[in-house]
Formats: sequence, C-alpha cells, structure tokens
Amino acid sequence: MPKVWTWTLIRYGGALAAGAFIGFLYDRATLGALLVAVGLLFWQLYNLYRLERWLAAGKIVDIPDGEGVWPPVFAKIQFIKGKVKRRGKRFRKLVKDLRASTEAFPDGGVILNANHEIVSYNQAARLLLGLKNRRDRGQRIENLLRFPDFIDYLNNPGDRLAVDIPSPSSPETWLACRLIPYGPEQTLLLIRDVSQRVKIERVRRDFVANASHELRSPLTVIMGYLDALADDERIPVSWQQPIRVMQDQSVRMRRLVEDLLQLSKLESGQSVPKDRVVDIAAILATARKEAFALPEHPEAIEIELNSPANLLGEETELQSVVSNLVSNAVRYTPADGEVTIRWTVDAEGGHLEVQDTGIGIADEDISRVTERFYRADGGRARQRGGTGLGLAIVKHALRRHDAELEIRSRLGEGSTFVCHFPRDRLALS
Amino acid sequence: MESESFSHHISRRFNAELEHLRSEVLRMGGLVEQHLDTAVEAIIAGDSDLGLRVSNDDHKINRLEVDIDEECRKLLATRMPAAADLRLIVMVIKTITDLERVGDEAAKIGYLASHLATDRAPYASYTELKALGEHVQEMLHDALDAFSRMDVDDALAVIEEDKLVDEEYDQITRQCISLMMEDPRTIRRFMDVTWVARALERIGDHAKNIAEYVVFLVHGRDIRHTERETVLQELEAAKSDRSASS
Repeated sequence: MPKVWTWTLIRYGGALAAGAFIGFLYDRATLGALLVAVGLLFWQLYNLYRLERWLAAGKIVDIPDGEGVWPPVFAKIQFIKGKVKRRGKRFRKLVKDLRASTEAFPDGGVILNANHEIVSYNQAARLLLGLKNRRDRGQRIENLLRFPDFIDYLNNPGDRLAVDIPSPSSPETWLACRLIPYGPEQTLLLIRDVSQRVKIERVRRDFVANASHELRSPLTVIMGYLDALADDERIPVSWQQPIRVMQDQSVRMRRLVEDLLQLSKLESGQSVPKDRVVDIAAILATARKEAFALPEHPEAIEIELNSPANLLGEETELQSVVSNLVSNAVRYTPADGEVTIRWTVDAEGGHLEVQDTGIGIADEDISRVTERFYRADGGRARQRGGTGLGLAIVKHALRRHDAELEIRSRLGEGSTFVCHFPRDRLALS
Repeated sequence: MESESFSHHISRRFNAELEHLRSEVLRMGGLVEQHLDTAVEAIIAGDSDLGLRVSNDDHKINRLEVDIDEECRKLLATRMPAAADLRLIVMVIKTITDLERVGDEAAKIGYLASHLATDRAPYASYTELKALGEHVQEMLHDALDAFSRMDVDDALAVIEEDKLVDEEYDQITRQCISLMMEDPRTIRRFMDVTWVARALERIGDHAKNIAEYVVFLVHGRDIRHTERETVLQELEAAKSDRSASS
C-alpha cells in the first residue's frame, strides 16, 4: 500500500480515537467518535464537490489543492486529461491535413452511401459537377447527374470501368466518372476532367472520316481511266500487265477507304436500336455467296442453321460482320479445307460461329487481331487481299449490338470466331 | 433526405417509395434532357442520322411516363397521402406530362433536323437556333435541378428566363419571315426552321411549368398565371407567417 494511504488511515484512526477519548471524558465516548466521523465525512464530501466542479469546468490548470489522498487523485486526473487533450489536438490536425490534401486534389471525389446519397465531396467535385455548398449533402447523386448512361453505370458498376459524361455545369467539359466501392457500404465516385481526350478522339475520328471521304473521289476517277485503258486494244502488250496490277491495287485501295469510312462510322455510334428484324438465314447465305466469288476458296463452305430465331439490329452492319468473318476464314483456309457457319440459340442468347480448318492464330496474337492493321503473320494476309480492318469492323459492329466476339484458335488446326448476342437481341417468333 | 418535409414518416417504406418516385422522375428528366441535347446537336451539325435516332427513341420516354403514372396511382391508393406528400405526387403526375411533351417536341426537332440536313445550312439563322436551343436546354436543366434540390429561388429564376426565350423566338420568327420575303424559294426550309424554333419555345414553357410545380411543392401555393411581383409578395408573406408561428 502506498505510504500516503497508510498515513491517511493512521491519521483518521487517530482522529477517531481522539474524538472517542474526549467523549469519554464527558462519559459520551460513542458520541465523540460519531461527531468526528461525521466531520470527516463532510470533509470528504467537500473535496469530492471540488473535484466535480473542477472536472465540470473542463480546465486543466487551476487544479484544486487538498489534503491526504486527494492531491494524488487530482494529479492523476490532470495527467489523463492532458493526454486526451493532446491526442484530440493531434487527431484534429490529422483530419484537417487529410481534408486539405483531398481539397487540393485536381480530380473530384464524392463519397456516396448505399443509397447513392452524397456524404461528402471535395472542392474539385464541387466545381466539376456544379454542386452547391452544403445543401447537396444527402441528395442522391443520380438526381443531379441525370445522364442515362451514368445512371446505368451507377446501377450496374460491374459492366464497365468508367463512363464519360458531359459536365452539368458546362457542356464543353467532359468528365470520366469511376465508382470505387470501399468500406461496408460506401462508394467513392472519382471524377476526372477528360475534355482534352474526348476532343482529340473526336478530331481523330472526324479526320479519318473526312480523309477517307475525300480520297474516294480521286480514286473513282483513277479507276475509271484504268478500266478504259485495260479495254483499249491499242495498248502495247508490255503495258497490259502493269495496268492490271494498277487496277488490282486501286480496287484494294478503294476497299481500304471504304473500310476506314465504315469503321469511323461504327466507332462514333452507340447501341443500335432493336426495332428492326434481321433475317439471319439471308445474311449467312449472302456471305457464303460472296465467299464463293473470291478467287481462291475452299470447296466446302457449309451453313448450319440450328434455330429459326432472327436478330434485332441493323442489317448492313450484321451483314458486314458475317461477311468479314467468312472472308477471313476463307482466306486462311486451303482449298481442301472446310469452313462452317453455324447459328445456334440457347438460354444465354444467340451464337454465331464461323469455324475454319485453316492455319490458325498463335496464342499471343489472339488478343491483338482485332486491332487495326494488326498482322498476325507479318504481311501474308495482304497478299491474300485483306485490308487489315475487317476484325476491327466486326468488333465495333458487334459492340453496337451489345454482342461480344470470342476467338478460339490453335496454330495449324484452324480458328473459330464466335459472336455472342444477348437474349434481348433475338427475335424469337 | 433528412431535411425534406416528406421524410418524417413512421413508415420507412413510404419514405423509400417517395424517394424512389422522385429519382424516377429525375431519371426520366435526364433521358428527356439527353434527347433534347441530341436533337439540338442534330440541327446544328446537320446530322440526319442523329435526328432520326431521337425521333425513333421517343417511345422510351413514353414508356417511363406510363410507368411513373402507374406508380403514382398505386401510392395514392395504398398510402392515402396528405399535405406535402400529396403535393409531391400531384406534382409528379403533372411534371411527367410536361416531360413527355418535351420529349415529343425533341422528337419533332429531330425529325425536322433530318429534313433540314438534306439542304445546305442557310448562313446565320442556325446560330440563333443554337443560342435558343442552349438557352432552353439550360432552362430545363435548371428546372430539374430546382426540383431535385427543392430550391424555390432557382425555380423562380427559371420562370423569369422564359420571357427571354419568348423574345428570342420572336426574333427568329421575324428574321425567317424577312428571309422568306427576300427569296421565296427558301420558304419551305424556313418554315421548318420556324417549326424548330416553335418547338424549342414550347420546351421553354414546359420547363417553366416544372419550375412552377416546384414552388407549389415547397410552399403549397399555386403561382401559375400570376404576376411575378404578386408571387414574390405572397412568398414573402408565407415566409414571415412561418417564422412567426415557429
């Protein structure tokens, strides 16, 4: 036991004994002890009162003095109080620093709760989204950012990584919005100003579209004269071969220009409306006929129609998907090979399959063959008459039909290209 | 939302339903806004595909109107709302009608855009259409913002804007008439331009209506067909009434 407690006990014992002794002198020993005990009780109560007052005042200084066991109690409380206060100060500073750093962030950040209500946001978000100070806390984010695309993304964030929307405060600004879930039910909405990127993309797209459009007319003139020259019997024999080569090359160039134009058109568009029914059997038959018209083609090009269902979308685009896939398959398949075009429907949706027994694609190329002008075989395809844009067109046309392209292939054993269409793109009747 | 008057219900379900209703209306508003933006862009850029897309997509807006209408009827029947809740539902029913009409006008603009795109743009008159279009887009946007924030001041500002839109519409009409008199061969085209301006002006009116419903929703006062000064006085009186009673 600390010395102060022993000492206090002895003193209080002594005081009681003294009280009892004085009482004994007056023949009232119990009364004397009782009076002293009551006195001590009031003394303790007084000290307790001072302690309570001191705590209520909330100050650290002005520590009450006292006697006996009270000073150490006061001192210990003072110590704890000081520690708590210092820690609080540190936390407040930390929070302030953190807030200042998020405020300084050039990207906007909005914290959303499970109901998509705005919990807090930084300065950049306020400017980019045109939020109003304080009042917009608790507002649902979709009430202020009403773009259908954004609302789709908010409800199904798994589908995409981010969406681009025009800023509500200035239509010239484009924002990339990205949702990052964290904590139990909170989401961070990251907003970045991407006007520059969107602008560059648009300029690039417009440039490709305009350039290809402008290239078309001189090309038509050149081709017309080449046709006339080829038919002219007065041309010396030595010139006939060069003219034929020029004709072939200008046909290729026209195809290239047309593919570029088509691609730039496909790139800019969004989802194709589902209001027109496209006859699958007809477009498969057309693709087959086109394939037979190619100079070199395998003898066996089969169509397997396993379902009467049709597709909803744009006929010309779906036709170019199938034609591109089939002509690719034909181009890489030897004359004794086989190309199969298959259409099946199951619970997941429709599947359009083009299978060949051609040269196949190496694993490392599969992910890249849909890139523009990507050559898996280093230029061999060019001799076979491709433009290098076919699969890029397929990919973009499919995206406009909410469909996906799957490529399965083994080098030397052939390839299978499958287009997966979702169920709501099918016309089942 | 904690601060809104309709949030103090014993039934949390009802709260959620009202909150959902509000979000649905604003979702519809977002779609309408997008259609209007696309339609105006189709006019300015002379893009007939874009124009046709708007006029073909109108059914989405109609579908939403029917759905929200149905939801309102259900709420009226099952919850029997009163006071501010009733006002909200009545207001929603009116707002979606206006939004649907805006959608129709946007579809009309899209259709006219596909017509106009075949002709060459006549010098400057599209600049004025563009200005009018942007003005109206902003009005609709602000009206819907005022609704989502329940902000009377913003709503009153939208109502005030409508006068400017009407003036701009008058100017375009006058300009079109004088251009038609100059060269009668352009009458057909300028008739279309006038129709577009007319549709935009109507959209401005619908945005104004929505703003008026917002004032009705927050203060419970119908301010339609009332002079601005009277409205301001009444609102001022309502405010002082409230502060006196609290």
